[in-house]
Amino acid sequence: MRTRDINKEELVKEKTIEMIVKYGIEGFAMNKLAKECGISVATLYIYYADKEDLIKKIGTEMGTYFFKSSLKDFSPDMPFAVGLAKQWENRSEFMLKNTDKIACWEILQNSNYGEYIVNESLIELKEIMTKFLHGAIERKEIVPVSKEVFWSIAYGPLYNLLRFHEKGKGLGGTTPFKLTNEIQQEAFRLVIKALTP
Amino acid sequence: MNVLIFATNVKTETCKNKIATFLDANKSILQWSIDQEDIDCVLRIISEKLNADQIIDLLNFHNFDCRELQ
Repeated sequence: MRTRDINKEELVKEKTIEMIVKYGIEGFAMNKLAKECGISVATLYIYYADKEDLIKKIGTEMGTYFFKSSLKDFSPDMPFAVGLAKQWENRSEFMLKNTDKIACWEILQNSNYGEYIVNESLIELKEIMTKFLHGAIERKEIVPVSKEVFWSIAYGPLYNLLRFHEKGKGLGGTTPFKLTNEIQQEAFRLVIKALTP
Repeated sequence: MNVLIFATNVKTETCKNKIATFLDANKSILQWSIDQEDIDCVLRIISEKLNADQIIDLLNFHNFDCRELQ
């Protein structure tokens, strides 16, 4: 009888992420993956029924990890500025530590699997974040805005700065850029200013 | 519980429907799936009682190629 091996499972997950980033979903195949992991195709099929099953499971696991990382020491009932600062801290830490996972996550999000994976893993996160936004509006800590405008102002600047950081280059690509704590704080203060009534 | 893995020539939807009739009817097979995207059209069977040879015989009896993947 075949048994599961935790180390092999971890290797499979790692290589899957790596290969999806490198070859895209179309170019990703179970037999190539088995070869990369140095395991037999049969072993791979012990863990997963097929390619679709594997992508869905790994994508959902990634989403759940993202969800947990983003809620570390956070509560939707926090005062707005404290809660948002926590979100910035958690999100930038997560983004900086998991560049491979993020690249894979973005590919999956834009694929046929996107809806399934988000529904399986991020529904609860969405609810918590909606509660956080509505609470802040009710307490008149921020101006009433739609979810989309809120996201663009509250998180857009952070993700843009992280993108510059990842490239290591500032606007125009000619000067070096590093996201320091000071720069992040500067942007954060402006975000709070923009959203404060 | 046994997970048995085979390379087959069950390539088309029609072939899949054919094997579905006898795999679904077999009470010793708890679950089965086939990955037709894979070059080996990998058949995956979960069963408590059946062994690999019995599955191979079953597929061969219905004129399909089937070989256990190690």
